[in-house]
Amino acid sequence: MNRFFMNIVRFILLVIAQVLLVNHIRLGGYVHPYIYLIFVMLLPINMPGWQQLLLGFAIGLVIDFFMGTLGMHAGATTMMAFCRPGIIKLVSGSLKFDNIREPNMEQLDFPWFLRYTFCMVFVHNFTYFMLEGFSFHLVGQALLRILISVPVSTFLILMILYLFSPTKKVRGER
Amino acid sequence: MYNLLRFIHKHHFVILFLVLEVLCVVMLTMTQNYHRQKRINTTNDIVGRIYETGTHVGDYFRLGKINRELAEENALLRRQLAVVTDTTQGYQQVINVDTIYNFIPARVVNSTVNRPNNYIMIDKGRADGIEKDMGVISTDGIVGIVTDVSPHYASVMSLLHSFSNISVRLKNNDEQLATLRWETTNYRYGTVDGIPTHLRLHEGDTVVTSSYSYIFPENLMAGTVMELIPSPSGTLNKAKIKYSTDFASLKTVYVIQHTNKAELDTLYQHQNQQEL
Repeated sequence: MNRFFMNIVRFILLVIAQVLLVNHIRLGGYVHPYIYLIFVMLLPINMPGWQQLLLGFAIGLVIDFFMGTLGMHAGATTMMAFCRPGIIKLVSGSLKFDNIREPNMEQLDFPWFLRYTFCMVFVHNFTYFMLEGFSFHLVGQALLRILISVPVSTFLILMILYLFSPTKKVRGER
Repeated sequence: MYNLLRFIHKHHFVILFLVLEVLCVVMLTMTQNYHRQKRINTTNDIVGRIYETGTHVGDYFRLGKINRELAEENALLRRQLAVVTDTTQGYQQVINVDTIYNFIPARVVNSTVNRPNNYIMIDKGRADGIEKDMGVISTDGIVGIVTDVSPHYASVMSLLHSFSNISVRLKNNDEQLATLRWETTNYRYGTVDGIPTHLRLHEGDTVVTSSYSYIFPENLMAGTVMELIPSPSGTLNKAKIKYSTDFASLKTVYVIQHTNKAELDTLYQHQNQQEL
């Protein structure tokens, strides 16, 4: 129940932060950082797949309502939720998730988070800019935007995860 | 039937994924068509209110700039007032702009400039008399056209939109008519289309709205010419222009209410019916 409440708070805070703060970042018009992806990234690992899909779709749709891009973010986050089990398997190698309920900084190290964040952001950005590009026939430009936006989003997300990771500083280096 | 259910149960993850993606693509294609988009209402008051709260917070950090802009506008209006009161009364009796156009001030609560199609959300809606297809201007020039209205907010399709298509005149060149579009991806530059080859354009020439539209009054500033783009086929040239409005820092805008719009609409309808 506590975890459920926690996810709702995370949902609301991330949507607000995304539409009121991060959307105002425009460096040359090509950078589109999306931090609300953290919500999908931090869902419990053993959560049933259909729930992950629906939650991913839900946060994408809410963002779409704010940005007036009905369908684009929802499509991208659904794709992200769909690929999530595969990505986790891909970036973890032989790592076991027996006592890890959701991705967190205490139990998983930085290289893992870097690989995980990069893959998730890439899947999202790729789907998003393709949906945007195909509907406007600007595929070349979509690729350029992916190239610039993925590193920026990855960096921002990792920074936020580190800032809001509760016990990281106490434990220090491992 | 049982087999079908078993199939769905077995592959529910993939099936749900496909259903959601198809739903997204359907929503996307519905909003990508200009005429269909006009029928779908995506502007709503909850979204508007959240953006407005965010803008209120941000405004405290911009008070100085907003004050300066208002003072500048006041000065401009005073100068114009002086000119108007000086002229003879006859002019005003023939055509009184005040009675044809009504300007409703509104504040920008959200806007984008870096997407292929950009919109601006303002804090005035149906309750304030805003309707679809009204023009929106800033103190610097034209901004866009209202495409969607909710009770207290409205969405404006800015000039930075692939459907944006404004009838303009090249002021220093025989009042030549042309069309203003947004073909670049930079929010500062637009394209003027349909310039006859014999016209000599100069950098800095003014581009203003024409009288052929009842969305915008005549002679509103749209931008200045940057350079001529010769057409490869040698027919009609294009020109790159710099918008006079800075879309990235829009704060206060004015929605133009045409008081005789209903009358004009019926006239247009009659005209269309006769053509059919």
